[in-house]
Amino acid sequence: MTEPPLNPLNLVLMGGSSGSFVIFEQIVKLAVRPLPCAVIFVIHRGKSSIANLSYLFKSKTKVRMEEPQHLDPVQNDCIYFAVPDYHLLIGPDKRFYLDDTDKDFFSRPSIDATFTSAAHSGIEVRAAMLFSGASQDGASGLKLIAEKGFDTYVQNPDFAEVPRMPAAALSQYGGHHILNEKNIFEEISSVLYSYST
Amino acid sequence: MILLEYKELELLITRVREISGFDFSGYARPSLLRRASRYLTKHTMNLSELYIHIEQGGKAIYDFIQELTVNYSEMFRDPDFFISVRSEILTYLESYPAIRLWVAGCASGEEAFSMAILLKEAGLFDRSLIYGTDLSERVLSSARQGVFGLGHMRTFSENYMLAEGRNSLSDYYNVAYNQAVMDPYLRKNMVFSLHDLTGDGVFNEFQMVSCRNVMIYFNLEQRQKVFKLLYDSLGMFGFLCLGKRETLRYSGFEENFRIINAHLNIYQKIK
Repeated sequence: MTEPPLNPLNLVLMGGSSGSFVIFEQIVKLAVRPLPCAVIFVIHRGKSSIANLSYLFKSKTKVRMEEPQHLDPVQNDCIYFAVPDYHLLIGPDKRFYLDDTDKDFFSRPSIDATFTSAAHSGIEVRAAMLFSGASQDGASGLKLIAEKGFDTYVQNPDFAEVPRMPAAALSQYGGHHILNEKNIFEEISSVLYSYST
Repeated sequence: MILLEYKELELLITRVREISGFDFSGYARPSLLRRASRYLTKHTMNLSELYIHIEQGGKAIYDFIQELTVNYSEMFRDPDFFISVRSEILTYLESYPAIRLWVAGCASGEEAFSMAILLKEAGLFDRSLIYGTDLSERVLSSARQGVFGLGHMRTFSENYMLAEGRNSLSDYYNVAYNQAVMDPYLRKNMVFSLHDLTGDGVFNEFQMVSCRNVMIYFNLEQRQKVFKLLYDSLGMFGFLCLGKRETLRYSGFEENFRIINAHLNIYQKIK
């Protein structure tokens, strides 16, 4: 570590599947240094997908982007992308763990796996968000995070390209904040920078 | 979904050790938490029912340990890895009079049989010996039989073709009773035996060790110990193959290997 941390580690978790990629790209564009949190994206990808999203989005932001390896530390001011074919877990020791247990909802990485591990880690979750997608993955993990008292957000299914995933999250738990089309990026931006010092 | 908390997991680890002697303490906790929670969900048990279940010892606790440690495997998993082994490792090992290869954490033998096929197609199989080890006697006995469910063979065949195999995978097995039985010829130079990477030591010197997607089971300290074991088991200029997302980072042996393929995590011991 070359720079002291900006404030205690806190996580912003983003889960999505089909129809989420474009939103994720926009969110990455919002990120400027210093980012007062660790942003972790989990998007469903085929196991043979070799596209490294941190390279793909390189021109979109100056914030450091990585595909974390097993035991890499989780740090603020960094954007992380779950790699294909492994679940990405977050440990209480503030490190990433890769896991290759069975798929959840036919997906590895699964959003539930990451969200659930974050909820158990004891690390502060600034926000967790779930976007467009064709499966129910993420719904139970998001509910768990909400039950731990953290802020949770769901893309309004009415404007999600594929509404099933956000709709499933809302049917399991009605207390999530709704992200609407007209101000979704303003809202996400204010979440990312809400208590930056 | 039944979810455990970390403090419950620690108590469970202690109890498992007391009953069975099996020690999970070097295992990565987040993964173990996920596996244990999945076990409860799958068997519709809560934590106290799990305790009652494993207190029986014997098969009950053995099955529990088995489910928490079993690793997922495919023949020719990550086909580009096998292309690289063929072009970057086997061409080097060609000059050796005898080749010993260790598949550490071999599960039911998918990787070991893939290596056997690769060596055969390179004309090296007759002077090779492949050791497959795992901590589970059950998966090993299935590996020894060389029998795979026919349902898996489609994926395995696709992988084999992507790995630029010379023939058709079906040339290496016969179908009987809805199962694929690997050619006994391949079994001739393969040994499957019990070995626990977290407890057992060096048992031979190898020119190549394949330990893919096993390191992700361990925590930082345990992983360093396992790296020492693999390092000590390799002859000078021997090759170490890790999983697609596993590197030497945090191993303590970063300086002892040179990178053969950075993308596929193939390394060569140089000091």
